[in-house]
Parts: sequence; C-alpha cells; structure tokens
Amino acid sequence: MEELRIGVYVCHCGLNIAGTVNCEEVAKFAATLPNVVVAKDNRYTCSDQGQELIKNDIKEHKLNRVVVASCSPRLHEPTFRKACEEAGLNKYLFEMANIREHCSWVHLHEKEAATEKAKDLVRAAVAKVALLEPAVEAEVPILRKALVIGGGVAGIQAALDLADTGYKVYLVEKEPSIGGRMAQIDKTFPTMDCSICILAPKMSDAGRHPNIELLTNSEVQEVKGYIGNFKVKVLKKPRYVTKDCSACGDCSDACPITAPNEFDIGLATRKAIYTPFAQAVPSTYIIDREICLNKEGIMACDKCIKACERQAINFDMKPKTLELEVGTIIVATGADVYDPSALLNYGYTRYPNVITSLEFERLINAGGPSGGNLLRPSDMKIPDSVAFVQCVGSRSEKGNVYCSNVCCMNTIKDSLLIKEHWPHIKIYVFYVDIRAFGKGFEDLYRRSKEEGVIFIRGLPAEVVEDRKTNNLWLIGENTLQKEIYKISASMAILSVGIEPCQDSDVIQRLFTLSRTSDGFFMEAHPKLRPVDAPTGGVFLAGCAESPKDIKDSVTQASAAAARAGILMAQGKVTVEAITPKPIPENCKLCGLCTQVCPYNAITIDKEQKLVEVIEAACAGCGTCGAECQFDALHMRHFTNDQIIAQIDALTEEDADKKIIAFCCNWCSYAGADFAGVSRMQYPTNVRIIRTMCSGRVSQKFIERAFARGAGAVLVAGCHIGDCHYINANHQTQKRMERLWKKMERVGVDKNRLHLLWASAAEGERVASKVREMHTLLDKLMPEEVEKSKKAFAGS
Amino acid sequence: MIVPQKLWRKPLDAEKIKTPKAEIHIIKDLCKGCGFCIEFCPKKVLEKSDQLNKKGAYPPKVTDESKCALCGFCTAICPEFAIYTVEKKCEEGCENGRKK
Repeated sequence: MEELRIGVYVCHCGLNIAGTVNCEEVAKFAATLPNVVVAKDNRYTCSDQGQELIKNDIKEHKLNRVVVASCSPRLHEPTFRKACEEAGLNKYLFEMANIREHCSWVHLHEKEAATEKAKDLVRAAVAKVALLEPAVEAEVPILRKALVIGGGVAGIQAALDLADTGYKVYLVEKEPSIGGRMAQIDKTFPTMDCSICILAPKMSDAGRHPNIELLTNSEVQEVKGYIGNFKVKVLKKPRYVTKDCSACGDCSDACPITAPNEFDIGLATRKAIYTPFAQAVPSTYIIDREICLNKEGIMACDKCIKACERQAINFDMKPKTLELEVGTIIVATGADVYDPSALLNYGYTRYPNVITSLEFERLINAGGPSGGNLLRPSDMKIPDSVAFVQCVGSRSEKGNVYCSNVCCMNTIKDSLLIKEHWPHIKIYVFYVDIRAFGKGFEDLYRRSKEEGVIFIRGLPAEVVEDRKTNNLWLIGENTLQKEIYKISASMAILSVGIEPCQDSDVIQRLFTLSRTSDGFFMEAHPKLRPVDAPTGGVFLAGCAESPKDIKDSVTQASAAAARAGILMAQGKVTVEAITPKPIPENCKLCGLCTQVCPYNAITIDKEQKLVEVIEAACAGCGTCGAECQFDALHMRHFTNDQIIAQIDALTEEDADKKIIAFCCNWCSYAGADFAGVSRMQYPTNVRIIRTMCSGRVSQKFIERAFARGAGAVLVAGCHIGDCHYINANHQTQKRMERLWKKMERVGVDKNRLHLLWASAAEGERVASKVREMHTLLDKLMPEEVEKSKKAFAGS
Repeated sequence: MIVPQKLWRKPLDAEKIKTPKAEIHIIKDLCKGCGFCIEFCPKKVLEKSDQLNKKGAYPPKVTDESKCALCGFCTAICPEFAIYTVEKKCEEGCENGRKK
C-alpha cells in the first residue's frame, strides 16, 4: 500500500470559527497526528485562494488524502471534493471536520473547550480519511421511455409534455376513459371556464399523439427494476368492443340492462354497454361484464351485437398483460372524495336533499343528469334556498385533520354559478375560515359576497329534515356574532374534502414510496425537490401528492415531466459510491440484509450463493451493513473500520466525559447544523459522527464506544415516518431496543444510551437533548464506566 | 370505479329509462321438463312449477315477468320450442313504454 500523505486545512471562516476556536493551535495539533504531512490554517478555505492552496499542496506535497476542518459537509463538501478532483485526487479521499456549526457557533463563550473539541473532531477526521478508499461512481443508462400512471389532468399534462419533448409515453388509466375528476366538474375557479371544454382538447391530444400509447381500463400490477430501467407489468382488461367502434350508441340503445352511472355518481343511469361520458377518450364503448347477461361461456343476449353495424363487439377478448420497459415513472394517481355518510349529524343518505359538492357538479352541469338544472332530489324542483357546509371531512378529528385546499374556492364558484342561473335562490355558506389565497381568488370571494351570498362563520352542529316539506334546518352557532342560528334551506350541499386514493397502498408498495401521516405520497424534499419521489426515477404529480386545484396539478405535472425529461435527456445517471460491496468469503447467506433493505436493492442468488446489490436501486442508507453480523457487507465510504476509527479517535482522551453522537445526514445532523446556524448554545462534550441514515448505526459501534469508556451515546435520526430512506429508521429503533435490553442484562445503566428523533428544523431539540445528557454525565460514577468497559470489552 | 362513495341514490332518470317489457309465453304441454330455460335464464325469471303436464313433466313458471330482459335465450335453447317471449306492445296513452 502506498504511503499515506494527509493534508489538513483548518479554516478560520473569518471570525466565525477563529472567534472561538484557536485555529492555529488546532493546525499545530493536526501536524502531530499520524501521516499528516501538511497542516495549515487560513482565513477562508472555500475561497478560490483557499482551494488553490489545497490543489497546489496536493501536487507539491504529493498529498493523497485531504481533510478540511471548517463548516458542515452539507454545505461545502461538494466544493472541496471538486477542488481535489481538479488536482487529480479522487474525490472520495476527502473528509470534513465540522468545527463551525457543531463547534464554534454552539460554544461561543467556551474558547478553550471549543478548541479541544475542534482538535478531537480533526483527529477523528484524520483517522477516517486514512481509511478512505478511492471510488468510481457507477453509471446507469436511462431508457428514453416514460410511464405515467393516472389519466387525470395531471397525468394528461405530464404525458403531453414528455411526448412533445419527443419521448415515448405510456399513459395508464384504470377507468375506461381518461379525464379524471376534472371531467366531472362543471366550471373551474377562479375564471369560471367550463371544465370539460378546456380539458377535452387535451384529452383528445393525448389520445391521438403519436408518442403516447393510451392504456385505459388497465392497471399496473408489478414494478421491478430501478431508475432508468424499470420493468412494469400492466394488466389491460378487455373492453369487449374493438377500435372499429364509431361511438354511435346503437348498442347502448339496444342493451336491456341498466345500472347507475358512476361518472354521474349514480344520479343517472347507463347501460351494460356504455361510454362513461360524451367526451370520453378513447370514445370506444365498453361492456360491463359484471351486469351484462352474457357470462363466461354463456352467450344469452346478442342485442348489442345485432345493433352494431360495424361489428365492433367481440365477447372473446381476453385480459392481456403487457410488459413495458421504461426509464422514468410519473405517479399521478389522483385522489378520492370524502364520504360524508360517516358524519351522522349531517344526515347524508338519510335526507334526500343533502348532497355532496361532487353531486352538485353533476347537477349543475348542462351535460349532467338534470340537464344543468339544479333540481333537489326529493321533488325535482329548483330550490328557493341552498346552504353550503364547508370543511366536511377536513380540518377535523372526525374526518381528516388537514385542509383539503380546494373546497372554499369551489363553494364560492358554485355560489356564483347558482346566482348566475337563478338569482332568486338564497345562498348560505357555513364556514370555519374562508381560504382564498390564490391568484384571483379574493376577487371571486368578493364577487360572491356582492352577489348577496351570506357567509356565516360556524359550521352547523346538526342538519334536521322537516318531514313535510323535506326542507332542512341547519342549527349551529354563529361564532362571529356569538348567537345560535337555526336556518331553513331547501337543499344542503356538503363541501366534501379530498382523500388519498383508495389504491394508494398498492401504489406505495409497487413503487416503494412513502406517505405522510395524511396518506398522501411524500416528496423527496418538501421545498427543493417537490416533485421527486424518494425512489430514484419516480416523480409525483397532482392530488396523489397532496390536495390541490387544477392549476397546481398542471404546474406540478409539467415540473414532473421536466424532471423526468432531464434524466432521459442525459441518458445516464451516476450513483454516489456509498453503496455496499458484498464480501462473499464472510457471507453466510442468512438473508437479513435483504429483509431490512427499504429499496429491495439486495437479492440473494441461492444457486450462485451470492448476495447481489443493485447499485442503481440502492440509496446508500447502510441499514444492510448495520444488520450484517458477519462483516460481509462493505459499506463504502461509511465502512465499519472507518466509523470505528472515528469512535476510537473521539474516545482517546477523557472518554468518560464525552457523549458520542451518531447523527443521520438528512434530519438530525442537519438539525445540529441548524442549532449552529441559530447559535443555540449547548455543552461542549458532545462529539457527532455523521452517517447517511441512523439505520447505519450498528450495535457494535455503540458497544465499541462504551468499551472505550464513553460516558454516553446518542443515536439520532429522522422522525418515524419521515425517514429519507423510506423506513430504515424502524430498524434503528429495533436495534436500540435490543441494545437497551442487553444493557439491562449485563448490568449497565441503560440511561447512558439515548435515542432522539429530530428533524432538520429542530435544532433546539438536539441542543436540549445534549443538555439533558450532559447532566447525566455529571452524576456518572467511575465504577459505572468501568462496568460498561468490561461488559462490552472486545467489541 | 370512479366514485368511492356508495351509489345509494335512485338515478334521476330511473323512471324515464325505456327498458322493453316482456310477455313470456310457455306452451306447457310441449315442455319435457329438461330445465334448461330455468338454469340458463340470466335474470333468473323462471322456476319449476308443481303442475304436471301431458308429458308427465313439470313445466317452468314465471316468477317475475318484469325482470325479463327479452334476451330470448330461453327460446333459443328450448329443445321442444315450448317457450317464447314477445315485447309488450305499447298501447295508446302508454307512457315510457309502460301501460298506464
């Protein structure tokens, strides 16, 4: 092996670091560490001169490892890695010591202790850098084809954008027609455009685009592969009507079987052979075999076949499974609406004149079951007065706790529609807050008030029906005027909220996505990667991600298409070299690693007796490495040896006074950074080791720290449900529970090991945890430390 | 399908929908009691009666004529030509295909 030549650069960062830490002393200390040939301190290492200095030293002193002690690696690691690369040093041979966010900024007034801490951090970085290995990032080719799941307005827009860019797109929709929710709606806010009039041209564009293959009445069954190379199985269910169909409707007229039309929410009927709505794309009819008289093998009725001049009906069609290969996937599976029959006090399904906002859309629609007349169901007459009830199933423990985003504006739009057709109808809107936050929204709200719509703050506690007239009494408290109201209306419209789609769990499983506590799919980063799913090559659009209106859905769809397009235009993607390498000699083929991998990126080849890592699917969390009991997985850049070297370096002096903390890159390490940026002060005796995920923290790391006499150990990760590696932190929790039990068994105080969930915004949570643990250390007896040293000796 | 909420409402056009109404004719004495019509009727309109016919068989009887969809499958499969259906003629003043 070549001789190690390490260069250490201690940055003053103006006075940000040098104001607290004696940088010169730290650099002098660094020079005494093994294999360090150059150690310097300078004002701004990240400046051009600072980088030039490193580059020159790499050449002049033949450095083959570089450590920079400055700010957080989350900030400047890419900068310095690039500088190293430019000087011909592999970028994986660089390491950072965070002496700003984790040291000078959080110990502003403890100059000596902070300087000692900075030395410790540099010692750990030098220990790690000595063990780093050069790595080449793997390149994965990206197929230039995309799959869009869901044919609502978001899916259509994403498909059109990608197809126009020149990529082949498969658009999969489970319903017989694309169009989704937007096709059901009458008008759109705030411009009052006719919904289907603006959607239908897009639908037909998608239907006849040469680059789009429309797969309606189809469902995704299986997804395998990884970014750039997905293999997707799609079940295409038969329509029993061929493409020769001219959509004349003669078959439908002849069909003797009727059923409620789902598209009209059962307010109108359809036949067993039907098209859900006039503008459906494809316009080809479809036979509902659930209700058709012809069952498998028995042809009882041939009326549609006889009626069809073009002989387009074929009962012999069979379901087909298509195997598609695509490079990127856009999930635009949409949302469902809340079912208000659970809220008994509103009487939905008991009182005919209580309807939902979606039913209202069909009633007010000229193409709907009532020809655009707002008929109340009990007597089919135009009502004298209507009441809108807001937040039904939203912002309440009874339904969903989140705001459904669109219902306020939808109601305001509906109120104006009613006033436009029947100005005499009296309209009440019962609300909690009116959220008119978007462009043009407030104007619409004002117009509605000007038209005489009465807005009353306070939802009705109960809706009661007058048996004789079928009118409704709405009873509740007006919280602005502090009085009880009892208002009669001919009809009540429940403004129902938006819910995650019922198939969400299937989609989640298929694509290894994660969901928020509300049930919507989670984005990779809420601010800066809002359309990327955590799984590489998968993007989100529309209501699948969160409730949103048409404009936002379309915006997000175009964004998702652009993001997918970037990958496909590049044609390849590099994978950070932090993936595991199996060591076959050590492997016992136990399969534990495959079970904990959140991405299904590790497989066992039983015949070859080999563990294989699919690099493109692996995100590098390291949970597998922590689970492996036999050192059979070499977690690159975060190897067992490297992390143990860090632990050993940090516990070399006064270990019993120190807290060794393992923080995950995304949440808790970032949270500690945030504490630094906010100058939250906490005790100086904590030493943070960065891993990509708390799931990387193997039991033996913690045991090693105790064996070396560490006073306490902290493991910190993202909150459960927020893990950046889907659910890898569940493994953290399991391991911690195991270890607590073991500590109890061997008679070590289990309170010396803490687990903390802290998000990137929770700097104070990190700081107060350190404070709390610091008080424990004060009471720590030397006998207790000896006990743990003995108990875990050898680990 | 598209709507998760259960479809509980009677469709507004349920009364207006024109479904042909059937008259089912059974020539009892031709029936040999094979039961095909009963077994294969997709709407399960027929059942075995308890009246013997000349052939010593139990011919079918109609349970609910209004359920018949006039598919004509019983006529097609009857080996003895003993059953047929005709669409009810709509008399004058008849509304929506239904007698007043």
